[in-house]
Amino acid sequence: MSQFIIRRVLYSVVTLFILSGTIFLIVRLTGDPVALMAEATARPEDLERVRHLWGLDRSWAVQYVTFMQNALRGELGKSFNYRMPVSELYFQRLPNSLTLGLAATLISLLIGIPAGIISAVKVNSAWDNVAKGIALLGLSIPGFWLGLVLILVFSVWLRWLPTSGAGDWRHVVMPALALGWYFAASMLRLTRSSMLEVLGSEYIKLARLKGLPDFVVIAMHAFKNALIPVFTLAGVNMVVMVNAAVIIEVIFAWPGIGRLLYEGIFQRDFPLVQGVVIMAGFMIVGINLAVDILYAFIDPRIRLSR
Amino acid sequence: MATIPADTRLPSRRTASGRLRAVVKAARGAPMTAVVILGGLLLVAVLADVLAPYDPTMPVKGAEMFAPPFWMDGGSLATPLGTDFQGRDILSRLLYGARVSLIVGLMGTLVAGGIGTALGIISGYAGGWVDQVIMRVTDAWLALPAIVFAIFLAAMVGPSMWNIIVILGLVYWTRYARVIRGEVLTLRERDFVKLAEIAGASRFRVIKKHILPNVLNTATVLASLTVGVVIIAEASLSFLGVGVPPPQPAWGLMLSEARPTLMVGQWWLTVFPGACILLIVLATQLFGDWLRVRLDPQLRNL
Amino acid sequence: MKRPRFEAPVFYLLALALALLGAAASLAPFSLPADAAPAGKLTLAWHAGFASRWLDPQEHDGTATPDNFFTAIHDALIKNQGTELYNHLALAEHFTIAPDAKSATFTLRKGIKFHNGDPVTPQDVKFSYENYRGAKADVFKKRTERIDIVDDRTIRFVFKEPFLDFGILLGTANVDGAGWVVPEKYYKQVGADAFKQKPIGAGPFKLVRSEPGVRLEMEAFDGYYRPVNAKQLVMIAVPEAATRVAMLERGEADIVYNVPGELISRVGKLPGVTLAPVLSGSFFIEFPGFQDPKNPFHDKRVREAVSLAVDRRAMNQAETAGMGKPTGNWINDDVQYAIEWPEFPRDVEKAKQLLREAGYPNGFNVDWVTPLPAFYSRGERLVSQLREVGIKARLQTMERGIFLQRLQGGLKEFPGTQIILHGARIGGSWSFWYEGHFKCGGFNSRDRICVKDLDGKFDQYERSINPAERKKLAEEIQRGILENYYLVPVFRHAFVNAIGPRIVLKKWQDIFPTITTGYAYPWEDIKVKEQ
Repeated sequence: MSQFIIRRVLYSVVTLFILSGTIFLIVRLTGDPVALMAEATARPEDLERVRHLWGLDRSWAVQYVTFMQNALRGELGKSFNYRMPVSELYFQRLPNSLTLGLAATLISLLIGIPAGIISAVKVNSAWDNVAKGIALLGLSIPGFWLGLVLILVFSVWLRWLPTSGAGDWRHVVMPALALGWYFAASMLRLTRSSMLEVLGSEYIKLARLKGLPDFVVIAMHAFKNALIPVFTLAGVNMVVMVNAAVIIEVIFAWPGIGRLLYEGIFQRDFPLVQGVVIMAGFMIVGINLAVDILYAFIDPRIRLSR
Repeated sequence: MATIPADTRLPSRRTASGRLRAVVKAARGAPMTAVVILGGLLLVAVLADVLAPYDPTMPVKGAEMFAPPFWMDGGSLATPLGTDFQGRDILSRLLYGARVSLIVGLMGTLVAGGIGTALGIISGYAGGWVDQVIMRVTDAWLALPAIVFAIFLAAMVGPSMWNIIVILGLVYWTRYARVIRGEVLTLRERDFVKLAEIAGASRFRVIKKHILPNVLNTATVLASLTVGVVIIAEASLSFLGVGVPPPQPAWGLMLSEARPTLMVGQWWLTVFPGACILLIVLATQLFGDWLRVRLDPQLRNL
Repeated sequence: MKRPRFEAPVFYLLALALALLGAAASLAPFSLPADAAPAGKLTLAWHAGFASRWLDPQEHDGTATPDNFFTAIHDALIKNQGTELYNHLALAEHFTIAPDAKSATFTLRKGIKFHNGDPVTPQDVKFSYENYRGAKADVFKKRTERIDIVDDRTIRFVFKEPFLDFGILLGTANVDGAGWVVPEKYYKQVGADAFKQKPIGAGPFKLVRSEPGVRLEMEAFDGYYRPVNAKQLVMIAVPEAATRVAMLERGEADIVYNVPGELISRVGKLPGVTLAPVLSGSFFIEFPGFQDPKNPFHDKRVREAVSLAVDRRAMNQAETAGMGKPTGNWINDDVQYAIEWPEFPRDVEKAKQLLREAGYPNGFNVDWVTPLPAFYSRGERLVSQLREVGIKARLQTMERGIFLQRLQGGLKEFPGTQIILHGARIGGSWSFWYEGHFKCGGFNSRDRICVKDLDGKFDQYERSINPAERKKLAEEIQRGILENYYLVPVFRHAFVNAIGPRIVLKKWQDIFPTITTGYAYPWEDIKVKEQ
């Protein structure tokens, strides 16, 4: 087991190295942040001075080494735009993204699981088709459009909810709905197919033969087993949401990480983009690692595989 | 949905007529709604030049900007679905937009599928350190937020429809790589593959004759599910400012351009392109569902 | 009849009391009457993100953006306010520029303070000026001989040679920040980076809370030398236009910047909302590489034909609901020595005729028309307008960072036959426009234009120390550009803002009184209605 864990950890480290190198290269290929900030009558000397101040006049190799050295010490550099340590900015915004991600995951589960169960239990009936229809809608409506419609209806017309920004639960509802709607569809499908598989298994057939009512069969037996993959997916999705909910965050002026990254890219804020991507990578790789190890505990066959 | 016949073996693929019969037999029972929608969209895309009343990139002479659809006050039959903020006919833009959406959707999926399948096969079949490297790169790629990549590429090579296709392909290939690799790992242990290897067939031949055809089923199912995602991604890229460049009409771009008008009641600018996107994603999803069951019930959980 | 005797002492006592009261009132420092205490919360929905350096005038980046922010927290010796381009007295109650322009003397007001209670002294002014590192810092450094602190309220700047632009440069908030005074002790104590997170200034509001890139919360500073009307000033970053409009409709924002062109007329009709169509950036056409004889734009008639083909009024109507201004001069009229010029006419027939005379009876192809990102719709309209006279072009869109980079790369980044539709807002002086967008080697113009004789005159202008001569040269140069169509002005864009019902106003100019900017300062003057 420990060999398995060590191996997996090693893989994660390698992955993070590849990631850091890639993002380092990518941002530098997108252009010059100094020129972007300057004004019409700037002189080359001014630009050179700023470049020197930010260490951009050194060769890429030197910059990379310095960056990695600092990163290993936990310092991700200072944002060009905000003049603050990137890690500070990241952790300032992280709670907001976590809140949004959690709320959206909850919504996706609250919509997806019940619909998926009903769909599986009453497979091929009208209910099934309705559920599939909901799933379809979730997959085919772009998040930004849904977000704006929600603002229009609930904020402007009905005046029930505030339009944007972070705050109390009322601020989270619409962005979480707009974000979670899409994932609800995949939750639904997964729940449905997972339930169908379990419902068709020998174990359940036996329970039915025993004369247990359907309801009990479902609630006690099918439910638990069917939901393991669903929750795994939910976990993975939540990590995705935390890091990549850019569009929703822009529309709702939500102070999250996605928006931080997006604005950083357009401003060519190298340290910010690098730092955020690496932190995001950390999180994603970390979650994958945890899930892998968890599954290895549960299923010995996995432990022994490559 | 058709019930699965007891004998699910398809006719032998060795002969050409056999192959044709295989396809026809496989295609029986395809969901009619999906086929009709997809067929219709394809037709529209091909015949856009003939069907569209106006040039989609130029304002209509004599028409108002923001004219509503013809059944509302201020609308006219000359521009039946209304006009946009440049006075361009929405109907024409929708018709031509079908081209972009279909091309971007299909080609993007093809690029993603191509790269992902290739890498998945290599990774799964070769094993060893090649496999490890490819898998680590895949992991790193997955951890890279797609938007960073998309913006970076769009900024570097400039926005154009073909660049968008490449971008989307490069963003979505990871889905394929993992799943295909899993398939290949299983296939490798199957008797017919082992027999071929023992018989001295080169790796390349084994892949081509045994692995690839079997993997294609999975790849096809994945593809049908990815098309919808790619089309929506095009809309998202337009929102972020790095999508298909104006004035070329694309449904996602039309939706994105019309965002502010939602707040002030010009609903037709967003509802029509949104409905089109809905239709095509619906059709591809239905088709994909059917394919999934038809090709291999084992793939239900994809 | 004799008056009752007890009235007299009462009368005298009353008179004494009144006299004492009057004496006390005249001796006590002026204080605000009770009902003018700051009240209400003013919320601004800003249309982009925030950069922290905008809260520090010491690192002014020279663009017309940071002034929106530091005018709330900081203050300057003299500044642009209302219709005054640069010489509105702020922290200085008096200033003179010597007749030979070799020195300038400022006298600070009495009793002015920073937010932390420290007094504003000439030492702080000296520090702010000498430590200034932002745009135009090199100009100040090169020309300043020394700074004398004359007494505890007076400071004199002495220059090496006559420095005619000193006033304009010091006092225009969207050009540089050398005249904006920061506390020396505090700045040195916390350092430049921390200062941007927790700035202390001498302005009407003090920063109480900031979420970088998201939200700035400010409170009225009771030590300010002018009355501050609002108690709280909040600025929120809301990049999505549709959301800003929703905030306005729902009353979550009192002032909303940058209403998109398509929405202008609808937003104006919302109950209680007033539109504020501030004239902002100027859009003009450049012909990169027109000096090359092989380039079709080498011929002046072709350039004139382009000018005649452009439908400025339609562009203005479509893009800003008619609230902009077809131009005129490509240089805005709110800068020193900018000349007035009549609106350029539109005449499609004459344009075609000129093209025929120049040898293009069937028009010609232009490789690309590249508009300033993200104003693509303007570029599209230009393309269709040019098509009417036979000039066929394609629109090229690119992301802003790439565009700026390519501009700075010069002619090699714009090969073939191309047109660039620029948009710019530059404050202070006409010369900054020329320097940045026309002069050979200029930051944005690089080697794409290079008109030798005009550049020569510009050098003369810069070396001259005679205001009359300078004015004349300025006019000649601008004339030269316009008469030869080296640049073709299109229109002056309206930066359309919206004011919500809770703001007290009679007309929108009450809230946007400063003509040199598109923003709503001076912030202290804006009043919010009682709840």
